[in-house]
Amino acid sequence: MIYYAIEVMAPLLLAGLGGLFAELAGVLNIALEGMMLAGAFAAIVTASLTGSILAGMLGGLLAGLLLAYLFYFVGIRMRANIFIVGLAINLLAAGSIPFLSSAMYGTKGVLRLPNVPRMPGLFVGMETGFPLIDQIFFGHSFGVYLTVPAVLLAGLVLQRTPFGLRLRSTGKNPETLRSVGLNPDHYRRAALLISGMGAGLAGSLLALRLGVYLPNVSAGRGWIALVTIYLGYKRPVGVLIAALCFALAEGVSVAAQGVLQIPGTILLSLPYVLTVLAMIVYSAMRRVGPSDA
Amino acid sequence: MSRSQPDSSIMVTVAAIAGALAVTVLLLIAVSSTPQAAVRAFFIGPFSNRFYLGNMLNVFSMLAITGLGMAVAFRAGVFNLGGEGQVYASALTATMTGLALASLPAVLGVPIALVVGMMTGAVIAGLSGLFRYLWDTDELITSFLIASACIPIVDYLIVGPLNDQASNLLTTERVPLAFRLPRLLAPSHLNPTLFIALLLLGAAYIALFRTVRGYEWRLSGLNRQFARYGGIHTGAYIVLPMLLSGALHGLAGGLFVFGTHYATLVGFSAGLGWNGIAVALIAKRHPLGVIPAAAAFAYLESGARIAMLHTDFTFELGTIIRAVIFLFVTASVVPQLQVGGRFNWIAARFSRKEQT
Repeated sequence: MIYYAIEVMAPLLLAGLGGLFAELAGVLNIALEGMMLAGAFAAIVTASLTGSILAGMLGGLLAGLLLAYLFYFVGIRMRANIFIVGLAINLLAAGSIPFLSSAMYGTKGVLRLPNVPRMPGLFVGMETGFPLIDQIFFGHSFGVYLTVPAVLLAGLVLQRTPFGLRLRSTGKNPETLRSVGLNPDHYRRAALLISGMGAGLAGSLLALRLGVYLPNVSAGRGWIALVTIYLGYKRPVGVLIAALCFALAEGVSVAAQGVLQIPGTILLSLPYVLTVLAMIVYSAMRRVGPSDA
Repeated sequence: MSRSQPDSSIMVTVAAIAGALAVTVLLLIAVSSTPQAAVRAFFIGPFSNRFYLGNMLNVFSMLAITGLGMAVAFRAGVFNLGGEGQVYASALTATMTGLALASLPAVLGVPIALVVGMMTGAVIAGLSGLFRYLWDTDELITSFLIASACIPIVDYLIVGPLNDQASNLLTTERVPLAFRLPRLLAPSHLNPTLFIALLLLGAAYIALFRTVRGYEWRLSGLNRQFARYGGIHTGAYIVLPMLLSGALHGLAGGLFVFGTHYATLVGFSAGLGWNGIAVALIAKRHPLGVIPAAAAFAYLESGARIAMLHTDFTFELGTIIRAVIFLFVTASVVPQLQVGGRFNWIAARFSRKEQT
């Protein structure tokens, strides 16, 4: 169960960290879900064409990047309502993937393509014999080992570089940035593109771990990633902890499904219920405690 | 706000619909082996016979109700993004009430079932309003999430405990014959929902623009702080609009059952909620604007569905059309809008949270 939770955490965390950049730049990216889905589809297609896991991940990343640029262009450059643009991108992904899938492979269902390599487990054979430690650290798929460096990198960039400082002030007070001769839109663009890459990569991990593309494989994880940002108090380490909590909750619910015989369909609503509860707790806490953001 | 720049906003609307048309035609040409027939079917199909025309009008009536449901919430400055799940869940409760009351006369049974549907929608949407009122939780996201949580549960109930054992379809039992609304343009699905929709639009216009409560409602949407300063109980105008918006979606769900399908089928809300948002945005959140907006959307959807018959494979063209409209509809092509325009309006929404 813990092994499973760690696997589930990786895509959530990557999408959440990307979304954190957008959030700090003042653009709530509600299109994470669509970007993840596009990343998952693109990853399977590229992996099948090239026979390489890395190329597949790159494909997923580029798909997220493409949608993020569209988000930037319409939402920031054309000054459209960023919510509606975000919804549009989710719909675009949900609508065009079945279209592309049937045009290219003749099916809009489960896409099982030839030549997609298996995601290898890393650090197999280094087990210590303590189940807990082994489950946390060893034998995970490649993407899992990206998460810790990603958290460190995100923290470093956001807190210790001029770019990170400017990005954060874009969200807090864009006028300050303008007064020193910088264009806040450039930072919004950078933040959105980073969030697109994170979500696209997250989607590619989801699909490549399974080795197939399932319709709606993201199953609400883009939304949960969004909530990890709030629950993590808009800090990279916080996002890590929040993503881990959600992943454990999913592990528990999958285990409960077997034991308590809860129908699988109902479990699909669990991410949304948990997200709402988390948002309520976050809002209520913010009212009581010292304001942070 | 958009209403202060009427010329440019009309241009944007026209651009949105033209963009959707262009994308649709391009896709049809790309996927059809007989592109001319497909494009022809897209444009004139909806008017070609009674069946298609009646169905288009029926789509129009449904979209008018969900579009109005969105518009009344937008008017008060609150967002309801859960229309899809609200329609679906209310359809199920209305169906079940209809089945349970089968022994009652229809004049009693149908209204009761519709009210139950409305209450279902109102509760689902109202929760988000209440959360915003109590804890300042963004209703835009919670309404989407709560409704999304309802969808798998309704799916499960239809497939599982409430499934019609007599049929092999993923559907509930059908409501009694006496409860079904009469068909106006048989064999199409058109039914008296059309008149209910038009009446509701008129009533909403009068309530919003000719009553004190409507004035307070709109003022809360334009500038909540100013409204509060003017002595309006703005908290009420967070919860009430969500309740009404949910109730209208619930009514749409109920009428969809008693007028069109006579049962709740898995996934039958088919974008009614999402399209309602698009309709409300094209209508510039005005009840009477909903009429041309819903008509335009019903035409696009019906044309796309008919044109699909001329393509080599089926796909969700409707979803793509919707996405294109969303992408275009609030984009501003006029530079002046950038300063005082919609972007700041939405930016202000978020900075409000940051300042607490």
